[in-house]
Amino acid sequence: MAVTVKPKAFEEFCRDTFDPKKAFGKPEVLKGYRALSCTQYILGPSCASYLAELGAEVIKIELPRRGEPMRHTTPFNEPLLYPLSKWLPERGTGLGFFGANPNEYFISVDFHRPEGQEIVRKLAAKSDVMVENYRPGTFDRWGIGYRQLSKINPRLVYMWLGGFGGWGPGRVRASYDILGQAQGGAFGMTGEAEERGGSPSKHTIWLADYWGGMMGALEVLSALYWRETVSGEGTLIEYSQVHGVTRQLEYALPMYGRFGIVRERWGNWDTQLCVHGIIRCGKSSYPQSDNPQEQEVGYILVSAYADTDWAKLCDAVGDGKLKAKYARHDDRVAADAQREIYSWLEKWAADKTKEDVYRLLTEKNGINTQPVWNAKEVAEHPHWKARGSVQWIDDPHFGDVLHQGPAYKLSHTPPRMKWVLKPVGADNEHILTKLAGLSGSEIKRLEAEGII
Amino acid sequence: MNGPFRAWPAVPISTPEEVYAGASGQAKEYPLYLESILRQEHNFSKPENLSRLRVLDCTVRQMIGHWCSSQLAELGAEVIQVEPPGGDPLRQQTPFGRKEYMVSDKERGEPVGLQFLHEMRNKQSITLNLETERGQEILKELAQHVDVIIENAAPGQWDAWGIGYRQLRERNPRLVYCWVGQRGQWGPLKDRPGELDPTAQAACGFVHGTGHPKEMGGSPMRSAMWVADHVGGTAAAMGIVAALFHRELVSGEGQFVEATGAEGIIRILDYNWGWYGMDGSIRPRYGNWDLAINIYAVNPCKDGYMMVGGGHDRLWYRIWRTVGMDRPELEDDIIADPKLRDVVERLPHPMQVKTYTQLADWLSDNSRAEAERKLLAQQVASGGVTYIDEVAEYPHFKYRGHVAEVDDALYGKILYGTTPFIQHKAPGRLKWMGRPTGYDNDDVYRRLLGFTRDELADLKSKSVV
Repeated sequence: MAVTVKPKAFEEFCRDTFDPKKAFGKPEVLKGYRALSCTQYILGPSCASYLAELGAEVIKIELPRRGEPMRHTTPFNEPLLYPLSKWLPERGTGLGFFGANPNEYFISVDFHRPEGQEIVRKLAAKSDVMVENYRPGTFDRWGIGYRQLSKINPRLVYMWLGGFGGWGPGRVRASYDILGQAQGGAFGMTGEAEERGGSPSKHTIWLADYWGGMMGALEVLSALYWRETVSGEGTLIEYSQVHGVTRQLEYALPMYGRFGIVRERWGNWDTQLCVHGIIRCGKSSYPQSDNPQEQEVGYILVSAYADTDWAKLCDAVGDGKLKAKYARHDDRVAADAQREIYSWLEKWAADKTKEDVYRLLTEKNGINTQPVWNAKEVAEHPHWKARGSVQWIDDPHFGDVLHQGPAYKLSHTPPRMKWVLKPVGADNEHILTKLAGLSGSEIKRLEAEGII
Repeated sequence: MNGPFRAWPAVPISTPEEVYAGASGQAKEYPLYLESILRQEHNFSKPENLSRLRVLDCTVRQMIGHWCSSQLAELGAEVIQVEPPGGDPLRQQTPFGRKEYMVSDKERGEPVGLQFLHEMRNKQSITLNLETERGQEILKELAQHVDVIIENAAPGQWDAWGIGYRQLRERNPRLVYCWVGQRGQWGPLKDRPGELDPTAQAACGFVHGTGHPKEMGGSPMRSAMWVADHVGGTAAAMGIVAALFHRELVSGEGQFVEATGAEGIIRILDYNWGWYGMDGSIRPRYGNWDLAINIYAVNPCKDGYMMVGGGHDRLWYRIWRTVGMDRPELEDDIIADPKLRDVVERLPHPMQVKTYTQLADWLSDNSRAEAERKLLAQQVASGGVTYIDEVAEYPHFKYRGHVAEVDDALYGKILYGTTPFIQHKAPGRLKWMGRPTGYDNDDVYRRLLGFTRDELADLKSKSVV
């Protein structure tokens, strides 16, 4: 008997298609691809880790014993994941390392020593990608740079990431994420306006690093795509993080070039849309909490830039005067109008929590809002849990760990999180036996001599 | 205004002779080698990574899709921007509503906002009214000719129109179909209104963590930029290229990609989730300092704000030596403190306060340029917070082409942020800055669908294009 199958409702279809629990039943894009990650801090490591999420075998190579500096970086020196390595079981890996190195294999090699360099060459001969962020020219000097490795393996995609790039007047300058933000221009534009007593503000995450690594991974994937479909050749990619930041300044550069206007800070409001700003609500959502983060008053994005939404907002808040005065968007987006409108809204919200504002504006009146959520509110929200955006991982070394999910979803070959990180040198035996042909006693000797 | 306000660059771009003057043969050999294979002036003699791909970007109003397709276009894909007749409303956006700060193309004189134009690079523009049945039919036909479609309609909208992933994959199984948005097309928040960045910034924990602490007079702070769109759009592009990779090498089939601004940032909110999961900690705002590294901060100086960084011992002592040359008592105070000896002991809040109190004292006597000169002499990573005029004129950026001016056939001279996809064999590049609304209707509809002039005129009269 024929059964008519009703097409699944679209949301149900999506839920099933992107179900994070089904990820491990699906194939991986970079199965069989190998990347070496000779990286420190966040920019280089995160670049390699995005490849690891897609299934590449990523081998992270760190200096023996203590590993890379980011392992010794953690908020207020409090949270740590033990052990750091088999050599230093009483120390732990700091959470600064966390999120930038999932799914990887960890070996230790001292690049300064000829025997260490020989190991890198052996691994590179069998790899598809090299990710590296030492000072420009350092690996070249050690005989493991692009010039040398591309001779051993012409198919190698060699990715260098760093602050300013290896040539030009600033080539010797070291960089960090915060410096990339500062010199690239994003820092000076972000933060409360001068007139409101504000100062330039850092994007709190290591944005130029983590997002820069993503840009790097996108280009590595594109270069691999080109290698497989067209050329058969590898390439050298140079990603400068200040360059990345300068790329994302929106209208700032064309505005300066054409009109000589320097884009300034405009705080939590929007220069191009009004109402489309974050306002202060006068009351805390958790006045009973003993956590200062929760005692703080709430903030919420109110978005009503379209004329119809503006009218609804004025009716909901109750002000006929402003409604008529700023009926046109061109009028309400002007600087003076924004000052007047947001102070009016904050006055109205002074006796409310962010949830009150959400109820009054969104639930009752269909106006766009989004409360400013803290880490707990995000981590506990059913939306992000269902989508696997924040997920518990049963990590083989560290037990249950709450972790971010991949940044995007694929129906057939989803990226996925397997483990959060491993101790320094945890995979020395496995990787060096498999790829460098080292015997057990050689590995012991190299470890004893501090070469691995 | 048709021409630039003032000539750029105000100071000429350095020559290689100036840049490498004084460097020994050995010291300049490697940089010169890099220049010989990486300089962007060689870009057009080289191929492109994604030149075989055609992308239809059907996203409207949000930046996330435009950002995503910009990256693909810079890497060589042919990108066709599909706009509603009359154009994407983003074209009309301009700071503070100031129409005089829009630019117009030379052919039609149609004004466009600079934010939209900056992300219209290398793309063609066609118009198509997807709210009409005929428009939906045309989209189905276009879908046969492209490798990628990107859309950002309300969740399920395209599916209801019969042009969603489920329907289009039947017609073109090789199609990679990508939906982008702020919070997602499924899950409890899918129908909550609020579609533009910084919605995603607020919904993922980013805004809560950015800005100065309350105790320092601060509040949660959004990025000046629609940064969640940039991060989510980059993630979307990565998902798209990964899907294409799998198509070419393994499956021969396309797939469904979804990326959101919020999840792009959730992925990169470093230890927020790990820390909360361990002991319930809610990451606090820490302004321009860093919870996990000391010294690593921006503090006020004589003429602005100055970044100084030295997360490990070697740099720590160099920084204090630099300070000590002017103010030995500050250096002595820090060096004498037993609680500041070990790298990790410097991280608790009271130690950070002490560190930056002394450092800011020294900085208050120094301008950004002075502090930078002194610190760089000790090879300490440091630099001022720079403003846009300084960014535009920074010698390193000009020399490497991070900032450049294109003399666009339609829009004239435009200063812009160039692609960071610098590469030896197949680098990214800018070809043109943008196109007016529907500028490429004739070309695209004839080339892909064979429309005659009469057919196009008819569609236009019915407001389908």
